[in-house]
Amino acid sequence: MAKITLDIFRFDEATDAVPHRDAVVVDVPETTTVLDALETAKAEIDGSISFRRSCRSAICGSCSMNINGITGLACKTPCNTVMDEKGVVVVDPMPNFQPMKDLVVHMDPFWDKYSRLKPYLQPADADSTHERERRVSPEDMKKLVDVANCIMCATCYALCPVVSVDPAFAGPAAIAYAYRFIEDVRDGQRKERIAQISEDYLWLCAHCYACSYCPKHVDPHDRIIDVKRASIKDRVLMNERGPRHALVVSKTIKQTGMLAETEVIQGTIGRFNVRGLLKVAPLGLRMAAKGKMPPPFVKPIPKVDEVRTIFEALEVPVS
Amino acid sequence: MVVIGGGLAGMRAAVEAAEGGADVAIISKMHPVRSHSGAAQGGINAALGNREEDSTTAHTFDTVKGSDYLADQDAAAAMCDDAPKQIIWLEHRGCIFSRLPDGRIAQRPFGGAGTPRTCYSADVTGLVILHTLWEQLERFGVKVYEEYFCTALAVDDGVGSGVVAYNMRNGDLELVTAKATIFATGGAGRMYLKTTNGYASTADGMGIAYKAGIPLMDMEFMQFHPTTLKENGVLMTEGARGEGAHLLNALGERFMFNYAPNKGELASRDVVSRAEWTEILAGRGIDGCVLLDMRHLGREKILERLPQIRELALDATGKDAIEEPIPILPGAHYTMGGIETDKWGATRVPGVYAAGECANVSVHGANRLGGNSLLETIVFGARSATHALDYIKKIGDVKPSEKTLANERDRVGALLARTGGTRAPALRRAMNETMSANTFIFRDDAGLAKAVDDVTLVRKQFDEDAYVMDKSKTFNTDLVGAMETDFLIDASLALAAGARARTESRGAQARTDYPERDDANWLKHTLAWRQPAGPPRLDYSRAVTITEFDPQVRTY
Repeated sequence: MAKITLDIFRFDEATDAVPHRDAVVVDVPETTTVLDALETAKAEIDGSISFRRSCRSAICGSCSMNINGITGLACKTPCNTVMDEKGVVVVDPMPNFQPMKDLVVHMDPFWDKYSRLKPYLQPADADSTHERERRVSPEDMKKLVDVANCIMCATCYALCPVVSVDPAFAGPAAIAYAYRFIEDVRDGQRKERIAQISEDYLWLCAHCYACSYCPKHVDPHDRIIDVKRASIKDRVLMNERGPRHALVVSKTIKQTGMLAETEVIQGTIGRFNVRGLLKVAPLGLRMAAKGKMPPPFVKPIPKVDEVRTIFEALEVPVS
Repeated sequence: MVVIGGGLAGMRAAVEAAEGGADVAIISKMHPVRSHSGAAQGGINAALGNREEDSTTAHTFDTVKGSDYLADQDAAAAMCDDAPKQIIWLEHRGCIFSRLPDGRIAQRPFGGAGTPRTCYSADVTGLVILHTLWEQLERFGVKVYEEYFCTALAVDDGVGSGVVAYNMRNGDLELVTAKATIFATGGAGRMYLKTTNGYASTADGMGIAYKAGIPLMDMEFMQFHPTTLKENGVLMTEGARGEGAHLLNALGERFMFNYAPNKGELASRDVVSRAEWTEILAGRGIDGCVLLDMRHLGREKILERLPQIRELALDATGKDAIEEPIPILPGAHYTMGGIETDKWGATRVPGVYAAGECANVSVHGANRLGGNSLLETIVFGARSATHALDYIKKIGDVKPSEKTLANERDRVGALLARTGGTRAPALRRAMNETMSANTFIFRDDAGLAKAVDDVTLVRKQFDEDAYVMDKSKTFNTDLVGAMETDFLIDASLALAAGARARTESRGAQARTDYPERDDANWLKHTLAWRQPAGPPRLDYSRAVTITEFDPQVRTY
């Protein structure tokens, strides 16, 4: 047994103007999960400590919280992997959410991101044309099974810096869920779904990889890349800045082995989009004044063929 | 129509009701995708015959035999006959089932089944079905009152008229009018210290219906799953044995063939759990466990078909199932007993239904087969809504009495007003300890009498002295936990009293003082009626319905 101190964020939205912290000491084996330690604290010391939990086996997604500043499932985090040398574990509610009480947050904005997806199968043909199941190859199903492990715990959403600056961004979990339908061979709304998730700011993802930390190994970041690729492959909303930017970046690197910044700006905004270009003109002028203006043309690096070989090996789509 | 609970049975009922044109809402203490249905791992049974020839009759027979002949055979047949249609329904709505090479739904062998009949998605079958049904709620715009805790059923003029629910977000108690109420609140595993069930499986619907005068049926039949982790009670799916895993004792023997010469590890769960416990009691266990050995399945198969349990075992025990056997033991898993219903999910009170684990239809009798619980939720979720749709068209408006709301305000108010006493977690602990010690796999009169006395005392302490420490109106889980404990105490008392009165061994109930099944006296259901104080009144007026299959000696 070990004495573990839980340093807990305390707040009640009905009565408290500001949060405070409580330190609660529990006597538990040090391999006890953070959730069980909280459960012990609530049962034996302070019944008002509040948190969500249900399955305690990493399948219901209820108990995501910040543990020593990093979001994760309390039921999957043993105390001895996170406590400091004094046995202290610091617990806070998930960021990117409004706190309700202690570790409980308002989840509604997160669920809304799913609702916008029309998250249900919309088959290409009528059910009545199939007396039995629709046939799906094990390989096609495997792609979905990997994403189906998502338990909607919102860990990735809480970790996402883009959500923190732009709450309209769909976030990693919803994009992974969109992928689940986009890649479902039974579904008949692939293009519409790609368009919807693009409108929900798919392309705002900055590829910081924060959401690669997924307690269920769904790896939403890779699914975001998959959806972006699907968007380009199916040529959905190709005139939006997101896909244009991705393509022109690829194109200049493939052609020159370098990022041709001038061309990237023009390609992203549109060479004939005078209004758009005028909008960035002041920035260009300031850069020129400081001697930072990138050259209008970039000469290919020596052995640029090797760069092109990499592109071909990765089959990166370039228009 | 109002559905209490947002797991598989509740959502299936709500979708059926919505498609049938009803104004339906779900009241759930959690968001639907948090429901414990999602923890179901191994699969869902249906005689699709995708791997071997199969029939719904064979499925019914296996179910009845598994039940040790206590299931009502008309209800079991209704479930098994409807199973293939319901699986296709789920598939058509996008459910992500694992597939055979030809693209049809894959099926795996499961305990007590004559053929590979269990449809699955790796070892996350409950989760994928849960998501499919939640998607259908989104599709039909079914209103979900999420984080509302139902506290009482309103019965006026002999018919169900709605419920009272506690809004966990702001502490308000609200009266909900409904012509039909369907309980789908899941099981009661939290009666025991060690259980596969999550924190939410607290007999809520059972307790509410029971308090409202509806009997609980066959509560003594509690399933102890053969493969649970010693550390935390977490489930290791039967699918592991379905895929070929072995059970070993301390001597390295596959002991199951000494108990079930034909089926071995794939005997029914009651048989396997008893065998394990017998081995452990005989000193052939290791630290109170036997071993679940998957090593010979190989890395690839384990990672493809059993990835979740491999990780759960790794997290809890530090052992990797690919490289070493996992210590396991039997643990409380499934409540066969529940709210008495007919084969349409209707209770004795018109307008009140129950479906899924909180109900007792009865299709599982004295022992449920693996893969039949998910099936029951889907079939009887849909059937109860079908019946209720018909019922609400026939009756006029209902109006729940304000008295029900006032009673609940008084009851909750009194709990919150008390400034000292015994906290609910301590009372629950006392109940858990006696239930685990005295109503586990092997039972006898002395132990069961002690359990009845102990829980009766806990009942009294709760009523006189239960203390809720948190006085907040916001997300008060201390209060909700106390109300859950109240329901668990009632369920525990019904279990212990029913077990003591049933002087035979059948399915999951093994009496060391009455080791034989007694068909002459006990082919009947136990109905427990709540009494204001003390154990329930037991009544045996409901005989088992036997249609096609006469009781036989049961061997595996």
